[in-house]
Amino acid sequence: MTFTVRPDADAKLRGQVAFATDLSVPGMLWGALVPAPVARGRIRSIDLGPARAIDGAVAIGPADLARWLPSAIGDAERPVFPTDRIQYHSQPLAAVAAPTRELARRAARAVRVDVEPLPPIEEIEGFDPAHPGPDHPEVIAHVLARHGDLDAAFGSADFVLSETYRTAGVCQVALEPHACIAEIRGEVWHVTTSTQTPFGTREDLASMLGLPEERIVVEGTWVGGGFGGKGAPLVEPYALLLARASDRPVCLALSYREEFQLGRTSLPSIVRIESAVKGGRITGRRAHWRLDAGASLPGRDFTTGYAIGFILGPYRIPAIEMEGYAFRTNKPPLGPHRAPMAPQCVFAEESHMDHLAARLGVDPVAFRRSHVWKEGDRTHLGQKVGPFGLDRCLERAGALAATWRKDAAPNTGVAMGVGFWSTVTGAGGEARLVLSPTELKIIEGEREIGSGSVIRGIVAVAETVLGISRDRVRVDYHDTRSAPFDSGVFGSRTLAALGQAVQKAALVLRDELGKRLSVPADSVRLTEENGELVAVSGRHRALIRSLLTETELAAGGLTSEGRHYGTSGEIDTARIVEGTFYPYTDFTGAAHVAMVKVDPETGAVRVMRYAAFQDAGKIVDLPTAQGSIEGGVAMGLGTALTEETTWAEDGHLSNAGLLDYRIPTLGEIPPIEVHFEEGFSGAGPYGAKGLGEPPIIPVPATVGNAIFAASGAAMTEIPMTPERVARALKLL
Amino acid sequence: MATFSFVQPSTTDEALAALRLGEPGETMIVAGGTDVLFGLEGRRIPLKRVVSLRHLPWKTLSWAGESLRIGSTLPLRTLERDPDLRRRIPGLWQAVRAVGSVALRHRATLGGNLVRSSPASDLIPILLALDSEVDIIGMEGERSLPVDQFVRASRTTALGSGELIRSVAIPEARASAFLWQRVRPANDISQVGVAVAYSPSRKGWRIAVGGVVPRPVLLPQAERLLSGPFPGAAELRAAAQEASMRVPFATDRRATEEYRRQLVATLLQRAVRAAGSHPSSPGVP
Repeated sequence: MTFTVRPDADAKLRGQVAFATDLSVPGMLWGALVPAPVARGRIRSIDLGPARAIDGAVAIGPADLARWLPSAIGDAERPVFPTDRIQYHSQPLAAVAAPTRELARRAARAVRVDVEPLPPIEEIEGFDPAHPGPDHPEVIAHVLARHGDLDAAFGSADFVLSETYRTAGVCQVALEPHACIAEIRGEVWHVTTSTQTPFGTREDLASMLGLPEERIVVEGTWVGGGFGGKGAPLVEPYALLLARASDRPVCLALSYREEFQLGRTSLPSIVRIESAVKGGRITGRRAHWRLDAGASLPGRDFTTGYAIGFILGPYRIPAIEMEGYAFRTNKPPLGPHRAPMAPQCVFAEESHMDHLAARLGVDPVAFRRSHVWKEGDRTHLGQKVGPFGLDRCLERAGALAATWRKDAAPNTGVAMGVGFWSTVTGAGGEARLVLSPTELKIIEGEREIGSGSVIRGIVAVAETVLGISRDRVRVDYHDTRSAPFDSGVFGSRTLAALGQAVQKAALVLRDELGKRLSVPADSVRLTEENGELVAVSGRHRALIRSLLTETELAAGGLTSEGRHYGTSGEIDTARIVEGTFYPYTDFTGAAHVAMVKVDPETGAVRVMRYAAFQDAGKIVDLPTAQGSIEGGVAMGLGTALTEETTWAEDGHLSNAGLLDYRIPTLGEIPPIEVHFEEGFSGAGPYGAKGLGEPPIIPVPATVGNAIFAASGAAMTEIPMTPERVARALKLL
Repeated sequence: MATFSFVQPSTTDEALAALRLGEPGETMIVAGGTDVLFGLEGRRIPLKRVVSLRHLPWKTLSWAGESLRIGSTLPLRTLERDPDLRRRIPGLWQAVRAVGSVALRHRATLGGNLVRSSPASDLIPILLALDSEVDIIGMEGERSLPVDQFVRASRTTALGSGELIRSVAIPEARASAFLWQRVRPANDISQVGVAVAYSPSRKGWRIAVGGVVPRPVLLPQAERLLSGPFPGAAELRAAAQEASMRVPFATDRRATEEYRRQLVATLLQRAVRAAGSHPSSPGVP
């Protein structure tokens, strides 16, 4: 394999890429937020006077909004500042700006906040979720679906295995915290920010501020990792309001401590899963899920209704029930983290599969293969399964696991876990290409967020269609005024969905070149000669310059556009009792294998070897695809073993920092083998499937099953810290 | 960012003079500098000056027969790479390698670790088990204190306001071991650290444990249960039992008290066995 270097690698390694925290503009002020001192309470008063007394400082609170916003209410569900009730610890109650960061922080501390504290509501268990009492959290989403004769399945079972799993919240831990620079330019409220979704951020800001979308411009910066944490506005509304109040540009960057506390870490959950088994087959399965959504953001319906679809596994089971509740607690608004809640649901479901296989005394791989969906099967919600390579991944992973098992030393276990995901979401987007005499530009609103899906993924699609060399393709980032609309970089959709728009736009260009050369379009390739692009078809060759009109040359090149608006599959609505479930739009599977060593006296776990078999449809750029799998596995090892948000009784995040919130270091990452299974085509360009989220999904389950294989400890809680493993081993 | 002056004395006299500048609490003393950012957070007295010890001629390491003297500002990475350390005092070599990462050890120093005096220090338990002494220099002169009397609690030591640690003396090479347990093995704060060393001159074991508030402790009662350099399984179990009962562990965000007791019993037995089987052990020809 040729080693290729990503086009952004050099600048990033040299520190030449400016992330949002590196930006500054002349004359800007620094912003700071005034945090709520309690997680729940009533606001008696907020006195901004002492902050305003600081030289050069401005301060804004709830009473000031009406001066600048046409409708001071904005989005009732996401108030910029609360006026009465504090919903979570460190909730912004007011905001200040001052000429230096230190002064801004001093001004924020100077604001006098008088609150009546109330006991925070944190517990999501120990009560009937359908009828929570006054001291229990409010239900904010409820989904319930059923199919088949569950009573018969459980009534006639040889045995029923019922287990409860707990999963901790995890943080995205991007390179840089949320940060932006806001500036009011005449009528336009302009913000340069670290975002996965420039257009989504514009829409949300318009809703929160009560302004029309055309008055808001969002300009993306390079993003040092999104992982779901940068999909919705966080600092932007405050920075914009401070810029409006001060008539100066305002930079608002969270400290890393604030990033942990406010940055929308993921949702802790409790899963109960029960299976009825008869004659070696799963005949019925129930899953009940409780989700702590914190103060909640819009999207909780999606998280609940989408993620719970993973909880029963990709298996043929005749009778099923799944029910999920999301509760509003006095934690900060919690949010998506790479494959929102799927690793957590799959941890419960796939651990349960190995525990069932152990109870039956059968090989876990064979047990899975005898139940796994194949193309043409129906999902638990009656949706037809498309091309799905999971069984093939299972077969290959099973063979590898058997080999590894032969090498396994004492206290070492080898096991597997599987995951599935749905890519090419229903969200849509458009692409614009501009072919000049010397290069092809892809005009984009979204910056590369680190996965390579923009800077390599969609570029590789254009390369493939036009046969153009990669160094002649450039992604040209625009703000939301001039970039073509796209939903954003999330949901593993960039290559698979936006890539289709790029593919279509590239095909339009190729058709046009074919016409101008009078040759069949699919014979046209672009090469270069003395720095100029040349269209080639057989013996026909022409400089691009010679094929463009004067008008096109003056406009910078030949422009083409492509659109992709996804369509969703259909689910059998008769199976839905309550709530909103979402169909999958493309199916991708993965089977992982881990070899772990467990210390039988301390519970310490070392992952010795790891392999991922990924159903990928079609690989368009191998190094990027491999990097995505390796990164997903590494991140998943954190979810599996060390990462967890811990909340103090007063509702603040007690490990808001990299000392006690432990992401894996290179020292914990074992060698990772990456294997792709191509041929089960997805809907993306050339059959590609998204690879951003799928690789993290099976990891906690795979590691947990390997711990079970190594030591007999059946793990039911992540992260599986040494102390939790020691408890499962009954050492404590 | 705070504004402060940066003083870099190159002689002991200059260094001691620099400590007397200004009011108490205004000065931060820096050796490797790995703890500076924590020291800047939440200060009650604004920082006026940082005195760096990096230019002092204290980055020394000298063996004299069986004894070792380590300059307080010697980077831990240099100590770790000393050709004799691993063979002669394996427990110290293991403990040094347990500190942070390679990058951090290029900066971090033994003196800094002692003054930080963390309850979870990976170095203090082995220094205790080796009966190390801290050599202190001040305007009043020089003195030396056993590590056991030097460390008191987190960020609290016997060091006076005008004093600096110049070096640490280890009286003799000992068969020794240091074992730790962490949530994240490669780079984390240890939940428990156990150091053991067999003293050929005293003909007895030293056992010290970290991960204890307010400071790492020696366990003389457990030491006395081990009769010679190769204690049998029953003696080891008894010592482990004694240690797990005796250490004043508490529950904190890194581990529960219960888990720490389990860990110390296990790690102690392993450490004594490891120390006894090492090539430097008195029983190995």
